[in-house]
Amino acid sequence: MPEIFINGQAVEAGAEQTVLQVALANGHFVPTFCWHPQLSVVGNCRMCLVEVEGRGLDIACNMPVSAGMKVLTDSDEVKAHRKAMLQFITLNHPVDCGICDKAGECTLQDYHYTYNGEASLSLDAKVRSTKYYNLSNRILLDNERCILCLRCTRFTHEVSKSMALGVERRGDVSNIRPVEDRPLGEDPYSDNIVDICPVGALQSRQFLHKARVWYLKPTPSVCPGCERGCTIQVWHRKPEWFLKSLDQRQNTSIARVTPLENPAVNGPWICNKARDLARIFERTRAGEPMLKGRPVTVAAALDEARRLIGAARRPVALVSNWGSNEELESFKRCLGEVFHCHLKHDWLPEEGERVEDDLLIRADKNPNSAKARELFHETGDPAIHEGTDLVLVWGEGFDFARVPRQAKVIFLNSYLQPENGHADVFLPVSIQTERRGHYTNFQGVVSAFEPCFEKSRGVSHAEDLFKALSAPAREHA
Amino acid sequence: MPGRQLFMTFPVTATSHSLAEYRARGGYLALEKALKQMKPSDVTKEVTASGLQGRGGAAFAVGRKWQVIVPDDGQPHYLIANADEGEPGTFKDRWILENNPHLLLESMLVSSYALGVRNCFVYIRGEFDLPYRRLAGAVEEAYEAGYFGTDILGTGFACDIVVYRGAGAYVAGEASGLLASLEGKKSYPRNRPPRLTVKGLYQRPTVVNNVESLSNIAGIIRDGAAAFKAVGTPKSPGTRLLSVSGHVNRPGVFEVELGYPWMKFLEEDCGGILHGRAIKCVVPGGVSSKVLTGADIANLNLSHEDLWDAGSTLGSGGMIVIAEGTCMVTLLRILMRFYHHESCGQCTPCRHGTGWLHRIMDRIVAGQGRPEDIERLYYISKFNDGTTICGLGDAAGYACTGILDKFRDEFEYYIEHKRSRFDGNLECLRSS
Amino acid sequence: MKHLIPEFEKLRERFPAGFESSLVLPCVRRIQEDRGYVADSDVEELTAYLGVPRIQIEEVLSFYTQFRRKPIGRWHLQMCHNVSCSMRGAESLLTRVERKIGIRPGETSQDGRYTLSVVECLGSCGTAPMMMVNDTYHENLTDEKLDELLAGLK
Repeated sequence: MPEIFINGQAVEAGAEQTVLQVALANGHFVPTFCWHPQLSVVGNCRMCLVEVEGRGLDIACNMPVSAGMKVLTDSDEVKAHRKAMLQFITLNHPVDCGICDKAGECTLQDYHYTYNGEASLSLDAKVRSTKYYNLSNRILLDNERCILCLRCTRFTHEVSKSMALGVERRGDVSNIRPVEDRPLGEDPYSDNIVDICPVGALQSRQFLHKARVWYLKPTPSVCPGCERGCTIQVWHRKPEWFLKSLDQRQNTSIARVTPLENPAVNGPWICNKARDLARIFERTRAGEPMLKGRPVTVAAALDEARRLIGAARRPVALVSNWGSNEELESFKRCLGEVFHCHLKHDWLPEEGERVEDDLLIRADKNPNSAKARELFHETGDPAIHEGTDLVLVWGEGFDFARVPRQAKVIFLNSYLQPENGHADVFLPVSIQTERRGHYTNFQGVVSAFEPCFEKSRGVSHAEDLFKALSAPAREHA
Repeated sequence: MPGRQLFMTFPVTATSHSLAEYRARGGYLALEKALKQMKPSDVTKEVTASGLQGRGGAAFAVGRKWQVIVPDDGQPHYLIANADEGEPGTFKDRWILENNPHLLLESMLVSSYALGVRNCFVYIRGEFDLPYRRLAGAVEEAYEAGYFGTDILGTGFACDIVVYRGAGAYVAGEASGLLASLEGKKSYPRNRPPRLTVKGLYQRPTVVNNVESLSNIAGIIRDGAAAFKAVGTPKSPGTRLLSVSGHVNRPGVFEVELGYPWMKFLEEDCGGILHGRAIKCVVPGGVSSKVLTGADIANLNLSHEDLWDAGSTLGSGGMIVIAEGTCMVTLLRILMRFYHHESCGQCTPCRHGTGWLHRIMDRIVAGQGRPEDIERLYYISKFNDGTTICGLGDAAGYACTGILDKFRDEFEYYIEHKRSRFDGNLECLRSS
Repeated sequence: MKHLIPEFEKLRERFPAGFESSLVLPCVRRIQEDRGYVADSDVEELTAYLGVPRIQIEEVLSFYTQFRRKPIGRWHLQMCHNVSCSMRGAESLLTRVERKIGIRPGETSQDGRYTLSVVECLGSCGTAPMMMVNDTYHENLTDEKLDELLAGLK
């Protein structure tokens, strides 16, 4: 393990490490654009130039350590060079900050303020290029903002393996371009390039011009799209920045979803399904309890449900694998003895959806099969047969045609569905973004999600319902 | 004749490049000697002892580059002759390719033997059509004569060669850019480490040498290192092919014994300046070498050490002679346009810097220069020096500051008066 | 491109194993020699034949100045305008060509006969000024030689 010196401090370095890795690991920050811990080293941005005694300046991201070397990351020479590199990068970079989504989380902005801060030295017009290039139906490319760090192309070659991006032409008229048969649109990991782009060149169409990032807060959560359970950040408007408008939906909707870095599960990536969680979570919700379609209070619905449970001889429950660890345990505890419980698979792969690959995507499109399997049986056998007189369905994905004609139905669901109105007792329940909880992924890793929004009044937390349903039925007066 | 000759020892005719005539001149004797009387390490030792310096630009000792190759390390090694010759003013490798291609081939065979190379390549710029056809013809002749293939000269040595054509990119003349191109990709140079002699073509140990550098090997092996060192100077052994162009009466390729007096060369061998004009300056070795005035070169000899001492270099051997009355501002603008056009675009300082340099020069030449422009040119050059992935960025800066250092007054004049002191003239059309 | 495959197979044998990627440049050159330019279908077929990522071929086609994806005139007049040629009269020769043919660099004549380009150093500085017509160097050009050359290009 060679010992090297960074800014006078002696540090231990791994023999195969680069000076950049050692510097970052020991608290000596070195700015970089093109370097990314998960991608190959290209060394093209030249921001990480450091000074080595006896050797002059060179980039740190490609510099092997050698015992006794003395590295300076903030000398006057280094500072002057960083300023110059930023002069070059901003030479043709459009001053789009006022209309660029990346403002507030832009590496170029941050470095400009920290390391340069001076106006451009150029007296010439900037080189122009394409402003709204259609990279795919999800991603817009602004070539003028692009600093050609090649993170996006490397991602498609090394991580998602779609080989979808490359560089056309050369010099300062080079442009990132997608390959002409357009597989970026079919790359389910494409949106990760928007995250790793250090500037506002790559923009997500979903998020385009929706909100300034400093008005949003990221809440840690878990993607329910498959049993990988990638940890994510769900971005939504900060309460103190709620818009005062007649339509309050902007204050209660998901602005965007980004990865929450997780070395144990998904690293820094997520697939596009996680980006599109609004498609799942913002479907029309079921708002109030009903008895055979007739709106009632929660208390009344609970009473009727308890009556049905008390009267049933062979009640069957179909448990949702979208339930959190807490909800599933609560169900088991409260109703596990009352019902014949079976595990239901709420979601199956949709048409056109990638089923499985060796990166992140798993075939089981539900977040908590692992915990559910631990506690309940898989439905294999005829869980419901002629003798069943009460079916409690929790969650989506159940074919109500399977319910015997004479059996009663208690249905716990979040979303608006025609079957809600047909159930003997219908109780709307909260979704993941309205409570805290945990999922267990297929590897046994437990991840937490936090609430982003308030649930509406008619909606109950499933856990509360399970407790209530396990209490004996009240005697009607 | 500018000193003793090692290359231009025969009259060039319509057939002098053929195998038969090459053999008649003593061709393929070096190969015979190397394969039958020497071990590979003996060959490398001889090359190192000769002190041969690279003739592509850097004058890096060829033997020292070769010594990084570890024989018998169990992996393929590659040897590549760099025939991309794109440096403006340089056309001397072309002379070898057209007129003595077998010299290169024999030298590559001997070098491959020394370096444990089974497959060697010549990377030739795409525009060189006649040189390519001569070389390809020579390769065919050599294969037919059994000099390439397996069991060469019955010694068990095997070697194959592929002549690989470029397609129009100056940056493919940079060794790692060349490798990228030979791997079938766009010509993006690579960062070092690792050195190409450690991880080169397809990540295997690779030696890239200039055509002329390699072409010296056959002679060194056939006649010995001592004979080579007896020519030239102690610090610059041997001869160099110099391509001379510009305002001289006899432009062309000359073989110069290193150490030969510069002015004598220009006046006698190159026929002096057109129309008897005075020398304004000379670009000694490729356009990134610092220009030297007539006064600077008056007492210099054509050797690596003389030019290094004078703050310049023999570089690629591309000498451009510039007569009085030439507008250096207009000339520099062409060079900045060239670098801008050829920048691969990978790294920040060169990608933006070469464009910036070009745009400033365009503006000055159009009569819209500003006083700050000169400082800007220096700024851009300074921060392209030692900060880039390959030497193209540095070269653009050197070309710029070299001319600015010597002719700043012309630039100041142009900016102030919005016109050239010499009417933008680049030609030498009549006596002063 | 399919009729060129037997040639490509022979070419493949000249390279060591594992060098498929290297075949991109020579195959593209041969395709262009054959068709006059590289068509989209050629890109598709070459991708399938070589098994390299399609984007690699597209990048190569746009990076190198000698490759083109559209047809040009029958005679490609490529005039060097770098230093040594400019110092020996390239500028006035270029003007002469422009006047004689009636097109500017980057353009093709209406009758499809000529395409005019200005190019960087071709390695012929000792015989400047010069021009490359298709694959051939025409060196030591004078006004007369140029006129003769143009007249001979049918």
